Amino acid sequence: MAHSFVLRDAERGHQTLVSTGPNASYVAGHPDGVITRHSSFNFHEYQSGRPGFGKIRVFGDEVFSGVGCGYNMHPHHNFLIMAFVLEGRLTHINTMGKIDELEPGDYYLASFGSGGKHCELNLEAKDLNVIYVWALPDRLMLPPRYSRAHFDAAAARNRLVTLIGATPGAVPIPQDFRVSRLVGDRAQRHTYRPASRAHGVYIFVVAGEIGCAGMELGRRDSAGVWDVDEIICETGPGPSDVLFVETIM
Amino acid sequence: MADEALKRFMCLGCGFLYDEQLGLPEHGIRPGTRWAEIPEDWVCPDCGTPKSGFEMVEIPYATDPLAAGSAE
Repeated sequence: MAHSFVLRDAERGHQTLVSTGPNASYVAGHPDGVITRHSSFNFHEYQSGRPGFGKIRVFGDEVFSGVGCGYNMHPHHNFLIMAFVLEGRLTHINTMGKIDELEPGDYYLASFGSGGKHCELNLEAKDLNVIYVWALPDRLMLPPRYSRAHFDAAAARNRLVTLIGATPGAVPIPQDFRVSRLVGDRAQRHTYRPASRAHGVYIFVVAGEIGCAGMELGRRDSAGVWDVDEIICETGPGPSDVLFVETIM
Repeated sequence: MADEALKRFMCLGCGFLYDEQLGLPEHGIRPGTRWAEIPEDWVCPDCGTPKSGFEMVEIPYATDPLAAGSAE
């Protein structure tokens, strides 16, 4: 039986992190630097709400404001951490690769497996907006691995493109998981077909307005849909930008 | 209790793993220590997330023979 939920923009968990006080060693930047985080799911103690969706545990919409603002070097294990840069430039220093610079359209998958550390900074004066997705892996203590790629919105216009998952051209991920993105500039009808009815899809509207599985979603609204054969998604007449995160439930 | 399979718990703050079978001898927790036996004020040794911020996971190790064939 089909199931769904809607999470409106304003219903998301909201938090600001400053680089002084208890977070001084974790949050980088000058005292006036601030990280604004909107969380769709229960990022451990930060919010009451849905604890996750399928294998997703974090879906964070974060803005790093102020030169040098970000997260200082900190450890991870096991989690599959994905970052999709929407605006600004992300400097990503990690123990699995080199210093990486990511701009709009760029994204990475860090599979932390048996352990690693990373540091994420905005070194520019303008704001950095990143979508973070964390998912559980299908195996524990995998060899750590870092992959990065680019989504070319102009070339992919009005097409649904898989960024991460078991699709040729996409970044492989050690989980039954898929991230796709649709950037369009006109009204269109798309049919999204999950791999099976045991999969769910978390749909997040980065920009624009869409009708999806019978729900009207605006900017930063989102919905989860599961136990369906297909999801009909109709974009509005203006520009739209939508992320589809599919996970085994 | 003694018959129950040993479980694994993952920190939702950073992904640190507590495996009941392995314990954390380097942190004074002997192998075989059940999650319930760990004090409620214990925190993740890597990131400080409280015990309540861990989730029980049923995920095989990458080195488990049954997991070796998983797709990546």
